[in-house]
Amino acid sequence: MSDVGWGLWGSWEETEACLNTVVGEWWGPDPVEPGSIRRWLEPKEFDCAIHTDVGAARAVGFPDLVAPASMVFSYGVAPYWLPGDSSKSIDDEPTQIQIPVIFNVPAPCNKSFATSMEVEFNEPLYPGDVVGCVSRLIDIQRKTLKVGPGAFLRQEDTYTKQSGEVIAVANLDIFRFYVEQGVTK
Amino acid sequence: MTEKLAKAPAVGDVLPAIEIPITLQRLVMEAGANRDFSLMHHDSAVAQSAGASAAFANTFFLMGMFERLVRNWAGSCIRFKKIGPLKMLNFNVVGDTLLFRGKVVAIDEVERGEKWLLNLWCESGRGQTTTCMVEVIKE
Repeated sequence: MSDVGWGLWGSWEETEACLNTVVGEWWGPDPVEPGSIRRWLEPKEFDCAIHTDVGAARAVGFPDLVAPASMVFSYGVAPYWLPGDSSKSIDDEPTQIQIPVIFNVPAPCNKSFATSMEVEFNEPLYPGDVVGCVSRLIDIQRKTLKVGPGAFLRQEDTYTKQSGEVIAVANLDIFRFYVEQGVTK
Repeated sequence: MTEKLAKAPAVGDVLPAIEIPITLQRLVMEAGANRDFSLMHHDSAVAQSAGASAAFANTFFLMGMFERLVRNWAGSCIRFKKIGPLKMLNFNVVGDTLLFRGKVVAIDEVERGEKWLLNLWCESGRGQTTTCMVEVIKE
């Protein structure tokens, strides 16, 4: 498994051609609901009543339970499989989170990791809300780091509700780079 | 958890720290809950091929932990306006015990209350691994 690579392969010219274009657009498959909020709180040992108790949320001015602000990303993740999609076979590459600047933008790179993120919140998320996301590639900075040569790609994600209200706008910086297979730096 | 701070915050106030060990089980639970199934967050061999020493915590986990740090301190009475820039300076890997810390760096009046600017960070045995600015609104 250590030799697994990921990301859409291509030239730097193809990367540049994607600058300032929409590189991804989808809807999260699941509406906001208490069960997924509880499971999100669990590994962080995060105890805050407005996320689990309607009365506590209403007491501070929310109309219903409110999802943690940073859960917008989870509700906005594209589905990994939907009815009608083909079945995976044992030799298929594992499916990773759909980050368009990695999987939709060509680049001569086979590895990546996130380096920075910032998000501005406009609207809280309540049970029943569904989250859509539109991603644009807004910056490319070529760089060589210790792990290998590559580039920082900045993706701007606009998250909206089914009503069209903007929930949040996020900027995500991903460093995509090239490592010769079998070589760990 | 308290519903409100016992007293109004002041610049320089320190948030109570949170300590949390990073185990592979926690990362797997986190991936299932936040839907980031990127291999390096639950497969140490893949993480090593990307330069980390083991599977490492993802961005959504770190952002959620900073949100918890602020909620633990401020309670239910604030709303998040901005999280970030969140900068990952080093990997937070299986076997690390992370310490999330923070302090108040500015308080400004805004149209509907106050905006509090918080400087947060995460430490492991290798020093500071992550930094994060947060803006919250207290109406």
